[in-house]
Amino acid sequence: MPTHTTFVDDHDIVRQVIAGDINAFGFLMQKYQGHILTVVGNHIPHNQAEEVAHDVFVKAYQSLLTFKFKGGFKQWLSAIAVRTCYDFWRKEYRSRETPMSSCSEEEQNFVERALAKQSIQATSQENSQKEASELLDRALDKLSPEDRMVLELVYLEGLSGKEAAGLLGWSVANVKIRLFRSRKKLRKILTGFLED
Amino acid sequence: MRFNKKDYTQLENALIKAYREKEKPQVSEQWAMNVMQHIRNLGALPFKTSPFKLFEQFGWRFAPAVCVLIVLLTFWMVKLDFAPEDEMAIFSIEHPIEASYVEMPGL
Repeated sequence: MPTHTTFVDDHDIVRQVIAGDINAFGFLMQKYQGHILTVVGNHIPHNQAEEVAHDVFVKAYQSLLTFKFKGGFKQWLSAIAVRTCYDFWRKEYRSRETPMSSCSEEEQNFVERALAKQSIQATSQENSQKEASELLDRALDKLSPEDRMVLELVYLEGLSGKEAAGLLGWSVANVKIRLFRSRKKLRKILTGFLED
Repeated sequence: MRFNKKDYTQLENALIKAYREKEKPQVSEQWAMNVMQHIRNLGALPFKTSPFKLFEQFGWRFAPAVCVLIVLLTFWMVKLDFAPEDEMAIFSIEHPIEASYVEMPGL
């Protein structure tokens, strides 16, 4: 939980940057680099996380004049990070060549490997971290960017609907409706993988 | 393979656990330097100091002093016994010609 002092310190640095001291932004970057990498790493494949985190800090710098000195800088920066991740998936979604419903040979092989396990329990205990992560990534890849972001923030990360709405800039009602629908879609995709 | 609600819940829990235990991506020092270089190349932000913004930021700090000043001025005005209508009446009696040229505000 950020303290009042943290807010004031961050606010002072933001004022310095706005007044023209570009190097002061380096302090903010150093302070929040780890946090932003965690946020970005949760949503973006690791091989592209560096590039996206780079974009986050550049966007933050360019948007600094819109920063309201009422809330915390960390929260404001997190919202930029989440929206940058959302933009990343929107671009990815548009540039996809294969239709979302098709199942690649690689995916089929993965499902067969998963089916070879005797039970889900066995899958989750043995060496399962990597496999579970792969299965989840494959399932999330089949969702729209909106569904993916809501599902990751609320269902997987455990944020409240209000927190997710604040980060995405959506209404709480929109988040709740989308979460309900995307959970149903995820279930359908996962059961589809394992029952086919 | 068919699986029931319990199996699905187990799968869900395993997936959530896997998601939360994801490793954080690592970046080099060079990465931070590149980001700062990019930002420096963008130049300083086009910040314009508008009087309204300045007032919004600093004006409220003078509020207590302004309140004290208003109280003092009110007290002084009351003590002075200044009544504009009376002053105008005295002026028009003492200087009737000049008074006819004076435009009385609000009348």
